[in-house]
Amino acid sequence: MKKINEFNIRLKIAQKKAKKRLLKNNKNNTSSLGAALKLSTEMVAAVFVGFTIGFILDSWFDTKPWLIIIFFFVGVIAGILNVFRTAKLMQK
Amino acid sequence: MTTNPMHQFNIYRIGPEVNLGGIDISFTNASLFMMLSALTIMSLFFWGTRKKALVPTKIQLLAELSYTFISKMINETAGLKAKPYFPFIFTLFMFVLFCNMLGMLPYSFTVTSHIIVTFVLAASIFIGVTIIGFLKHGMGYLKLFVPSGVPLVLLPLIVIIEIISYLSRPVSLSVRLFANMMAGHTMLKVFGGFVVSLGIIGGWLPLSFTVALTGLEILIAFLQAYVFAILTCIYLNDALNLHR
Repeated sequence: MKKINEFNIRLKIAQKKAKKRLLKNNKNNTSSLGAALKLSTEMVAAVFVGFTIGFILDSWFDTKPWLIIIFFFVGVIAGILNVFRTAKLMQK
Repeated sequence: MTTNPMHQFNIYRIGPEVNLGGIDISFTNASLFMMLSALTIMSLFFWGTRKKALVPTKIQLLAELSYTFISKMINETAGLKAKPYFPFIFTLFMFVLFCNMLGMLPYSFTVTSHIIVTFVLAASIFIGVTIIGFLKHGMGYLKLFVPSGVPLVLLPLIVIIEIISYLSRPVSLSVRLFANMMAGHTMLKVFGGFVVSLGIIGGWLPLSFTVALTGLEILIAFLQAYVFAILTCIYLNDALNLHR
């Protein structure tokens, strides 16, 4: 009888550990995949938008390469800001 | 049988060609699968809510689960103020989810693997959220582009950066969904092509890859629909509460 009790306690502890491990693994898998996909597009999109704005303004003002170059770098900065914000949001 | 992995994304006409003022609005396979997913959603909720039993059937359980899932998500990310927008976000989530999932069936067409579809969804969300923001806060909505505590010298640059960051929302929202769906389906087709070309001896390895990738694709199909909906909530939260 004593042995069975002891075994039951050990079983319970082991089950708890297994459950914890499962929860942790699950969370890691799905959320890190989502995080990777989110961050990469966030960066690319801002650079693309900056580039497009530069391109449009250039054809308006006839200043061919300059505004594209400036807005490309502004887009890069905005992309980094985006990534930073998303990462901050994800840590919450 | 074709081995071109991009062939699955071809759009072709079903039925006669219809022209409306120079614009081709014929019925295509893309419209067919959009209609199919809308019909599937409607029939799911029609059957799921028909009986309203205290002990739910499987379909009723599915309908109720999806309802509480989205309702909880809106409450957590956008707060109680976003409750009136529940129907839109719920419809959006279900539509994207079912388009993705119907695309996982063999011989089907994935609507969301075309950027124009995802971009129209994202752009309408973007325009709608901007209008909501201006309606709720008037010109005060422009404060979103002017963070507090910035020195006056840097202000023009910061405002430009903020505007680009704001404009990049629909792009990142649409590109994310489109790129994930297209890349996944192309990869599946490429590995499927390896199975055929390597034959019965060497084909087992790519076949196992394909099986694993199919599982991953189903996960991604759900995850991307979820991300699409949750980002809509976050943007809505920005428009309703004006702080980040």
